[in-house]
Amino acid sequence: MVDWLTMTIQMVSLAMAGWCLVSTFRDRPMLVPHLVGMGILWLLVIGQAVATGITMAGGDRPAETAMFVSYLATVVLLPPACAVWGFMERTKWGPAVIAFACLILPVLFVRLEQLWNPVV
Amino acid sequence: MSDTAAPTTAKDLRTGPGRLLVAVYGVFALAATARGTYQLATGFEEAPLAYLLSVFAGAVYLVAAVGLARAGRTSRRVALVSCTVEMVGVLVVGAASLFLPEVFPEDTVWSGFGSGYFFVPLVLPALGLWWILRIHRLDQG
Repeated sequence: MVDWLTMTIQMVSLAMAGWCLVSTFRDRPMLVPHLVGMGILWLLVIGQAVATGITMAGGDRPAETAMFVSYLATVVLLPPACAVWGFMERTKWGPAVIAFACLILPVLFVRLEQLWNPVV
Repeated sequence: MSDTAAPTTAKDLRTGPGRLLVAVYGVFALAATARGTYQLATGFEEAPLAYLLSVFAGAVYLVAAVGLARAGRTSRRVALVSCTVEMVGVLVVGAASLFLPEVFPEDTVWSGFGSGYFFVPLVLPALGLWWILRIHRLDQG
């Protein structure tokens, strides 16, 4: 896994969560800029997944490969799934969904890094 | 926070706060099922009851998510039953893990009243039940 990419994803994700929480409390629905933000976040996550996939294809795999791959699949699917689900809702609860997803994502990345590089 | 949903859409479980509930339930369904399946596959002998319970909890979350996400009276009943099962589950397993730790040597989502997941498993069914009953009352009134 690319460390700086993980850091960037976590920062962008938390920023998105903050932004969407503000939208929720201001009673705004999800708008196109939110979607663009989620798109950027998703591209970063895909980039990390591809980079990790290439490293793994080179033979450098974590001990618990099955667990790691299922987490990796989850982080790739989470942003688009929640973006669509949130965008369908035309009230303040749309951004609330995105905020939830963007708070979960950094936690999932902490777990991924633990699996990738277990502290002995 | 005031509820801004229009009366016509408020009858639907999946709109408004329900939208967020479905998302949270979806993530928990995935987390519990994946965790349980993985544990079952790698070490069933170690703690069969705890691992089977994880899978069961995941299935209940999944049913609840689908029940909440679908419109209609039947799915509302499905969501109501699954949220009740969850509430009972988290309370019983939480109490059991506290007073009879030898029954559950390995953690599940419901151990310690969901303390490993920031107590979300304890709050979630309560929110779910509140939301379903609220919608039900709006529908009748």
